Amino acid sequence: MTLPAWRSRTDLLVAVVILVFCVLVYGLTYRFDAVPAALMDGLGAELFPRLILGVVALMAVLIALGVGITPMAAPPPVHPMVWMTGGAMLAFMAAVEVIGLWPTAFLFTLGLGRLWGERDLVKLGLSAAALCTVLYLLFVRFLGGTFPKGLLASFWS
Amino acid sequence: MDAFLAGMGTLLDPYMLFLVFAGTVLGIVVGALPGISGSTTTALLLPLTIAMTPAAAIAFLGSIYCAANFGGSITAILINTPGDPSASATAFDGYPMAVRGEAGKALGISAVASAIGGIFSVFVLIVAAPLLARMAYQFGPPEYFALAVFGLSMVAAIGGDSPVKNLLAAALGVLLATVGLDLTTGVERFTFGAYALSDGIEFIPVLVGLFAISELLEQAAQHGTVQSYIKLKKVELPTLADFRKCAKAISLSSVIGTFIGVLPALGATTAALICYNETRRWSKHKEEFGKGSIEGVAGPEAANNAAVGGAMVPTLALGIPGSTTSAIILAGLIIQGIRPGPHLFTEQPILLYVVFGSMLAANLLYLVMGLGMAKLFARIALIPPAYLWPAVFVLSVVGSYAPNQSMFDVWVMLAAGVVGFLFRRHGFSPAPLIMGLVLGKMVEETLKQSLLIFDQNWLMFMTRPVVVVLFAITVAGLAAPGLMRLWRMWRASAA
Repeated sequence: MTLPAWRSRTDLLVAVVILVFCVLVYGLTYRFDAVPAALMDGLGAELFPRLILGVVALMAVLIALGVGITPMAAPPPVHPMVWMTGGAMLAFMAAVEVIGLWPTAFLFTLGLGRLWGERDLVKLGLSAAALCTVLYLLFVRFLGGTFPKGLLASFWS
Repeated sequence: MDAFLAGMGTLLDPYMLFLVFAGTVLGIVVGALPGISGSTTTALLLPLTIAMTPAAAIAFLGSIYCAANFGGSITAILINTPGDPSASATAFDGYPMAVRGEAGKALGISAVASAIGGIFSVFVLIVAAPLLARMAYQFGPPEYFALAVFGLSMVAAIGGDSPVKNLLAAALGVLLATVGLDLTTGVERFTFGAYALSDGIEFIPVLVGLFAISELLEQAAQHGTVQSYIKLKKVELPTLADFRKCAKAISLSSVIGTFIGVLPALGATTAALICYNETRRWSKHKEEFGKGSIEGVAGPEAANNAAVGGAMVPTLALGIPGSTTSAIILAGLIIQGIRPGPHLFTEQPILLYVVFGSMLAANLLYLVMGLGMAKLFARIALIPPAYLWPAVFVLSVVGSYAPNQSMFDVWVMLAAGVVGFLFRRHGFSPAPLIMGLVLGKMVEETLKQSLLIFDQNWLMFMTRPVVVVLFAITVAGLAAPGLMRLWRMWRASAA
C-alpha cells in the first residue's frame, strides 16, 4: 500500500505506538483503588489522567493524519556506537551493585573514553581519577552524601 | 527599601558572590561546549543546589542561565556549531565573519550585545514582575488553570518540527505529573506498588535524563564527526562605527527578545531566530546577511540574552515558566519548598532582590570575562568528546542518586534518557515534556479547586473575564498557524 505524500510512514508508526500506549495506560486507570463515598465530591483520581490521555490520543490521531506536523523521513538506523554506549551504561548499573559507585565511575570513564576513540590511556586514567576525586570531595565530603559501596565492600569489611 | 538593602546585603556576602562568579564561569564554559546547553547544565547542577539556601540556589542557577547564552556564541562563531541552541542564529553570520578573519570582532560584538540585551531585560524584570504579580494577586484557581493551559499551549511554538508533536509531548509531561498519590483522594496512581513513586516522579532524574543522557546518546550517534576550528587571535571591542551600525539591531532585538521571553514557554532560541529576521528586515545592509554581517551577530545575541530576563517575569510573578531553563529553575525552587507566584513578592522580597542583583551581576561578569578570556573559553570548548561525555554520565548518575540516595532514581534517569533520545529521533522536543511535568500538578490542582468552587459546573469558567480572555488567546494561538495556511492556500488558488 502506498501512502499519500503528506503522510509519513514514520509518523504513522509513532502515532500507532502512542495510541497503544494510551489504551494501556487508560486500562491502568481502572485499577486505581476505589475512593470512599465521602471523598467522591469533585473529580475522581482517575478522571484527570483520562482527560489527559484523551488529549494525547487526539494528538496522536492528528499525527497519523499528518495534521499540524512536518512529515518526517525515516530516521537513519541507530549508530552502533549508541548501542555500545547504552550497553556500557547498563554495565555501569550492574557494576555499581558489585564494586560500588566510585570504582565503577573510574572504570566507566576510562572504558567509555577508550570506546569513543581516545588512545592515550594514561591521560584518560588521570582525567577519570581527577573527575572521581572532585565529585567524591563535593558530594561525599562537602555535601555529606553516601553512595553504594557494592557487594564486595561487605566481603572486605 | 529595607528588603532591597537586605537583598543587596545577602548578595554581597562572599559566599553568594562566589556562587554568582562560579555560575557565570560555568555558564560560559558549558554554553560553549557543543551539546551541553544552559538547560542541560542547570539540570545537571540542580542536585548541588539542594544543599544551598533558596536565595543561593536561584542566584547560582540564574547566573548559569544568563551566561550560557553568551557562551553558546563562542562555538557558534569559531566552529559553526552553536554551543547552546539559542546561539544557532549567531552562527549564520558569526562563522562567515570568523572565516573572513574577523572572529575577534564577532566575539567582541557578541559580548557587548549580549550584555546590553541581558541588562535591559533584567531592568524590565525588575519593573514588570511586581506589576504582573500585583495584577495576578486577584487571581483564583480558575485564572491559574487558564494561565497554565495557556502556558502549555505556547509550547506548540517551541523546539521540534511540529506544533502537534510539541503539544503531545507537553500532555505526556502532564500525565507523568499524575504519577503518585492523588492529593484530594489519597489514591495511588501508576505507582505499581513502588514506594519510590508514591510521592510522584522526581524532577531531577527526569530533567537530567531528558537533557544530559539523551544528548550523550545523540553524541554517540555522531561518533567520528570532525569539526573544523578557526583560531582566535584576540577579542576586539567593537569600534564606534561598528557600534553605530549595530545600535538599531541591538535596541530592537533587546525589546523584542524581552517580550518573547515574557511569553510562557518561548525562550531564547525563538527570540534569537525571530530577531535575526527582524534585524535583517530593518537593516540598511541586507545584502551582507549570511555572508558575515556584524548586525547579524549583534541582533540575535542581544535577543537571546534579553529573553532570559523576560522569561523570569512569568516564572517569578505567576509560577509559569517563560522558557525551558526557567522551568528547571522553577523545579529547583519547588524542590526548595518555594512556589513562585504573586505571594512571593510580599512573602520573600529579599529573595527577589537577590535574583535581580545576581542576574545583573552575571551579565556584567560575562561581559568582562567574554572580552578578556574568550580565548581560554574557546580552548575549553574543544575538550574531546571521549573525555567530556563519560564525565557527563558520571555526574548525571551522582546527581540523580544524591538527593534521595536512591538507585531507583538513577534508573528513572536512564529511562528518561532513552525516552529523550527516541523523542529527538522522531522529531519531538524534550522541552515541552518538561513544561508539562512542571506545570502538571498546578493544572490538576487548579482544575479540581475551580470545579469545587463552580459546583462541578464546567460552564462557570466562562463567567470569569480573565479566564475567557486567556482561553480565547489559547484557542487563537493554537488555531492561527492552521488558519494562516488556509489563507495562503486560498490566496494562491485565487491568484
